[in-house]
Amino acid sequence: MVFTTVINFVRARGPDEIWRKRRIFKLAAHFIGRRRNCYSIAVRNVHRALVYATKGRKLKREDMANLWETRVRAGCEQHNISYESFREGLARCNILLNRRTLADLACWEPYSFKSLTDIAKRRTLDDGLAGINADKYLDRIITRGSLNTEK
Amino acid sequence: MALFLKRFCSQFKNLQLNTSNTLLRNIQAISLIPSIQNYSNTPTPFEVVDTEEDNKAKNQILNKVNSLVADKTHGRLFAVVHVTGKQFKITDGDVIVIEGYWPPDVGDKITLDKVLMAGSADFTLIGRPIVEKGLVRVQATVIEKTLSHTKTHFRKKRRKQYMRINFYRVPQTYLRINEISFQDEINNPKEVRGLETAIFS
Repeated sequence: MVFTTVINFVRARGPDEIWRKRRIFKLAAHFIGRRRNCYSIAVRNVHRALVYATKGRKLKREDMANLWETRVRAGCEQHNISYESFREGLARCNILLNRRTLADLACWEPYSFKSLTDIAKRRTLDDGLAGINADKYLDRIITRGSLNTEK
Repeated sequence: MALFLKRFCSQFKNLQLNTSNTLLRNIQAISLIPSIQNYSNTPTPFEVVDTEEDNKAKNQILNKVNSLVADKTHGRLFAVVHVTGKQFKITDGDVIVIEGYWPPDVGDKITLDKVLMAGSADFTLIGRPIVEKGLVRVQATVIEKTLSHTKTHFRKKRRKQYMRINFYRVPQTYLRINEISFQDEINNPKEVRGLETAIFS
C-alpha cells in the first residue's frame, strides 16, 4: 500500500504509545483502583502527584521549622519564659543557635536548655524587656554585665 | 564557657572603676522606662555586688570543670557545630550529611572549628557565638561523596498547556565525626597566658 499524503504520519508522533503509557503506569503502580489501570485517569493522577512532590519539598522545610519552633516553645513554657523573649535574650547575648539546634537541646540536653533559658531570662531582665518577672531564683545566675557584648 | 571568659574580662573593668569590693550599681532597667509622664512610686532598685563572692562562685565552677577535663572523666562529649550554613548537634561516631557543593574529598581529615556549643553530662560550654578557638577539637573524616536520589521538578498549569519536567541530584558529603575532645584548659586562653605579671606601659 502506498500513502500519497502525509496525514497518516501525523498520528505517529513521539515514542510508541505503549512505551509512553508504560512510563506513566510505572509511576502509578502503587495507586488504587482505576487510577492505576486506566491511562487517562492514571496520567491525571500521576501529574498531580508529581506536582505535590515538587511543592512538598519546600513545605517539608517549612513544616520542620514549625515543628522545631513548637518544640522550643514547649521547652520555654516549661521554664516560664516566652519563646520571643527567649530568642531575643539569646540573640542579645550573641548566642546564635538556630531553631533546629534549640529543639534538639530541649529534647536531648534538658539541663543545657535550662541554662540557656536562664541566660536569656537574666539578659532580658538586665535589659529591662517586658515579659520577665524578677525572680529570686534568677539571683543565682551571676552575670554582672558580662552578658553585654562590648563592641 | 566563653561566657565565663567575658565575665572574667569584665572583672578587670570593675576593679579599675571601683576601689572597694562592694559597690552599688543601678540596674539598667529603670533607665529604660520610656514614658516621662508616668512616674513610678517604686524605689529605684539597687543591688549589692560583691565581686569576691562572685569570683569565688565562678572559680569553684571553673575548677570543677577543669578538673574533669584534666582527668578526662567528663565522659562522652557532644558539640554543636556550624557547617555550610547548618548547625549539627554531634557526638563521637556520628555521621552527618552535608548537602550541596563542598570541596573536601573522600579520606580528608578535617577539624570543624565553628563550635557553637560543647558539653558533657555534667557541664556545657556555650559559645558567643563560638567557643574559644582551639579549646574544643572536633575531628572528622570525609567518608563518602555521592549524589542524592533523583528529584523530579515537575510544574504543570491546568488548562494552560503548560508542563515542564526537570530532574536533578544534589551532591552529598558524608562526614564521620571521629573525636570530640578538649585541647586545653577552660577559661585560660593561650593568647593571654602569663599576662598577669606583664607590665604594660
